[in-house]
Amino acid sequence: MKTVRMPSLGQLILILLIVLTMLPIYFILENSVKTPIDFAESTINIPLHFEWSNYSMAWSKINTPILNSVVIVVISVVFILLFSAMSAFAFAKLKFPFKNALFLLVFCLLLVPGFLTLIPLYLQIKKLGLSDSYWALVLPYIAGGQAFTVFVLKTFFEQLSNELFEAARIDGAGNRIIFASIVLPLSIPICTTVGIMNINGLWNDYLLPSLLLDRVHQTLTVALVSFESSAGSHGLSDYGGMMAAYILASVPLLILFSVLMRNFVEGIASGSIKM
Amino acid sequence: MHFKDKTKMALTGYGFILPTFVFLIWFMYYPVYQALSGAFTDWDGFNAPHFIGLDNFTRMMTDEVLGQSTINALIWVAFSIVLAVLPPFVVSELIFNVKKARLQYVYRTLFVIPIVIPGIVTILLWRFLYQGDGAINQLLGMVGLDSWQQLWLGNPHIALYSIMLMGFPWVSAFNMLIFYSGLQGIPKEVIEAAKLDGATGWKRVLRLDIPLSLPQFRLIVILTLVGSLQNIIPPLVMTNGGPGYSTYVPILHMYNVSTVNGEFGYGMSIALIMFVVILAFTILNMRLVKSDT
Repeated sequence: MKTVRMPSLGQLILILLIVLTMLPIYFILENSVKTPIDFAESTINIPLHFEWSNYSMAWSKINTPILNSVVIVVISVVFILLFSAMSAFAFAKLKFPFKNALFLLVFCLLLVPGFLTLIPLYLQIKKLGLSDSYWALVLPYIAGGQAFTVFVLKTFFEQLSNELFEAARIDGAGNRIIFASIVLPLSIPICTTVGIMNINGLWNDYLLPSLLLDRVHQTLTVALVSFESSAGSHGLSDYGGMMAAYILASVPLLILFSVLMRNFVEGIASGSIKM
Repeated sequence: MHFKDKTKMALTGYGFILPTFVFLIWFMYYPVYQALSGAFTDWDGFNAPHFIGLDNFTRMMTDEVLGQSTINALIWVAFSIVLAVLPPFVVSELIFNVKKARLQYVYRTLFVIPIVIPGIVTILLWRFLYQGDGAINQLLGMVGLDSWQQLWLGNPHIALYSIMLMGFPWVSAFNMLIFYSGLQGIPKEVIEAAKLDGATGWKRVLRLDIPLSLPQFRLIVILTLVGSLQNIIPPLVMTNGGPGYSTYVPILHMYNVSTVNGEFGYGMSIALIMFVVILAFTILNMRLVKSDT
């Protein structure tokens, strides 16, 4: 006879903790489809009627900020990866005077916390007349991502065998061709990994965009914070829409993680990333 | 190699690192220089800054808001470390002790899913849950604990704790995965040998798992220490330091004296001190890591 095995005490605790960890997601989901009246009654129970129009209302409010965030993050990450890969290649495989000193100069920036440069950056960008444009964030983001990305990519490039490059050199390829046709294609998996890390950080950034951007260029994080204050001032009417906006705000990262995770895991599995 | 070839090689190298350095000089080194030198001036953003020696630092000694902020930061650091270590370690142990590898994978994934929620949404959501008519008070009302109902963010005695304790049940996915990988790194023979000595269950955790996970513990403690000293967005968004100065922390003070009062010189002196403190911890950690390997 087959007996049904009870999960152990440890597993029961795990399941309980997972339920508790997921509660905020449940809370946002069930409230995102509530009418103002359902919402006023209780924020905890599941509504009988699903008010899907909350989503179209939320979308109309945050579609521009989502687009702004996507534009800013994509441009920034592309240039972070390109410039970092160039530097990392030079530091790993080329010879030139003061190479180690220059690398140390980049490495030191890993020790500089964001709050130290926040206020000077804010004043500098205002002075340059760049506030209220995408440049206000793209330029400092490109700079801010360099140190970490150069560091990771340099470690990776150092492990690429020199014979590969020598063979290409004998065939007459210059460093620019070697970089574009050998180094870049080989570094796609590692670039995906550091790319995701950079995207995640920039997507969640709040302080610099809140200081520098007008309504037209507002990023998602800033829009969500101001969405909440405007929802409060209109009484009950907007809370369902606010929760719907939180769901919509999570979708891009959800897509990114589900699409790129596989690429990312395969990169590790095939042995191309050795940390 | 010929001199000409060497020069060419050097120029290629500099060419490759040029874009990085243009950006770093413009948007990293120059702002760092401005922050460090601004700390010794009366910089206000309009007039030319004057060198005022250590005046900003003597002002910090008598700044009551900064004193309150520092105490808050210390409480915050202590709570953050406990919350960053205990729940994730317990969960990683529980998952590690699940027999089937596939099931372990499922549990890990379930704990990782919430990372797709942007950090700012978590903060806004908890601000909402803590409201007077929010879900936490509603829940307390439903179970008959009306007397426990609070203005969680409006009461100066508990607002700081409310902010620190958001994110219940505090199972940080990142920390949990680090502990889990540490446990996986313990050689199977060691575990088998401990079993023969009668070290199973709790005994194994205390005698084997915790001592062998010390590098993971130290990594998480240092990262949390450094991270929680820089925490500004939760108090900024949830209470803006209020009520009164009850949820102020030094970096928030730096932010507000700079952006609201325009006292950039004084703000930078606070930033400089915080930078030195954090740097000291980071260097200490690097030393410890080096002595390990």
